[in-house]
Amino acid sequence: MEGSSKSIAHDVGGAEIDALRFGLNGVKSDIIASHPLQSLHQSITKNQEDLKKTVLASTYGAAFPLKMDLDRQILSRFQRPPGLPSSMLGYEALTGGLDDFQIEDYFIDPQDSETFRPQDMHHGMEVRLGISKGPVCPSFI
Amino acid sequence: MSKATVELPPKGGFNFDLCRRNDMLTKNGVHAPSFLKTGTTIVGLVFQDGVVLGADTRATEGPIVADKNCEKIHYMAPNIYCCGAGTAADTENVTDMISSQLLLHRYATGRESRVVTALTLLKTHLFGYQGHVSAALVLGGVDITGPHLHTIYPHGSTDTLPFATMGSGSLAAMAIFESKYREGLTFNLVYCAFVEIPQRDEGVKLVTEAICSGIFNDLGSGSNVDVCVITKGKVEYLRNHQKPNPRTYISSKGFSFLKGQTEVLSTKVTLLEKPQQEEGVDKMEE
Repeated sequence: MEGSSKSIAHDVGGAEIDALRFGLNGVKSDIIASHPLQSLHQSITKNQEDLKKTVLASTYGAAFPLKMDLDRQILSRFQRPPGLPSSMLGYEALTGGLDDFQIEDYFIDPQDSETFRPQDMHHGMEVRLGISKGPVCPSFI
Repeated sequence: MSKATVELPPKGGFNFDLCRRNDMLTKNGVHAPSFLKTGTTIVGLVFQDGVVLGADTRATEGPIVADKNCEKIHYMAPNIYCCGAGTAADTENVTDMISSQLLLHRYATGRESRVVTALTLLKTHLFGYQGHVSAALVLGGVDITGPHLHTIYPHGSTDTLPFATMGSGSLAAMAIFESKYREGLTFNLVYCAFVEIPQRDEGVKLVTEAICSGIFNDLGSGSNVDVCVITKGKVEYLRNHQKPNPRTYISSKGFSFLKGQTEVLSTKVTLLEKPQQEEGVDKMEE
């Protein structure tokens, strides 16, 4: 991280201390998942990706998954401003998500959730550009 | 490198938002409705050149029979079918989801689906939900490598067997299989001139017998016998192959209810007000 010294330290929006924007910190509820399945669900996608990378590395050599990873990073940045839905077409074409039609694609849209709070677009953009610290705080509007 | 992080947009799927609230409600004495007991007999066996699947047709919700003639043999692919025991919604939707994935896979590869593909998709899905998707399945099909039969348990473990049973009537059905199954059962279809009378062979007969054993010895199973015979390049879905429990009483005169059987005590008709047409307002031009 040679460029890290050049970036501006901007700790005002630190997630842990900003109770006005993120609400009061309930430590226990932040650490413990609300359901035993939740942590499994979060890890299962990552495990599958890791497995795929290992398979690709042993088939095509270590450079191949590295190159794919770079492509993945580039394509994952191709998004609408925070708070607006992005289709992630290029990203899904790379990961193979386009070929699947799974429960995530139609079953509960997070935008329709009754506890959904839209992200603050201004803060989201700052986080994306590296000006401000994440995570993105929810919008007040 | 900048410290910028780009998160992917959140996806749908299972949502755990209300789990904490539900936990709190349970602790404060609000009890959610509990699970209802389910019951089924589903079986499958491998014969000489194919697979026979069988199921009863009773759907229960606790002590109540919800449906006397439901379908428990689900379509997966043209050459693969799947019997489901457990929560009806779970079995139907799991098989639906996996069958759509198989179809997309067939479009991508242009080849006939293999039974192991369906098996792997089903078991990874079920394992991902750690038994919360209560679907116990008997998966059977014939692909390029021959006939296959698998059982899949709700937590994602699988068996590969020459004959298999599942559901609450599995013990009754397995008793029949264990005493009468032998390798190399035959299946011949002889069609008469006009009426289609399949000469029933041993495979279908044995499956029917096993399902009947479940129907008569297990309270969670009942009504009719569904059979599905899958051979190379051909599927025969024999819906209501046998009806061992016909209705005991049907009126010989039939049930015809004349109009006016219910006495009308009073009538009141309220006329809708006519909407007054506003004049002088320009109509919207199309």
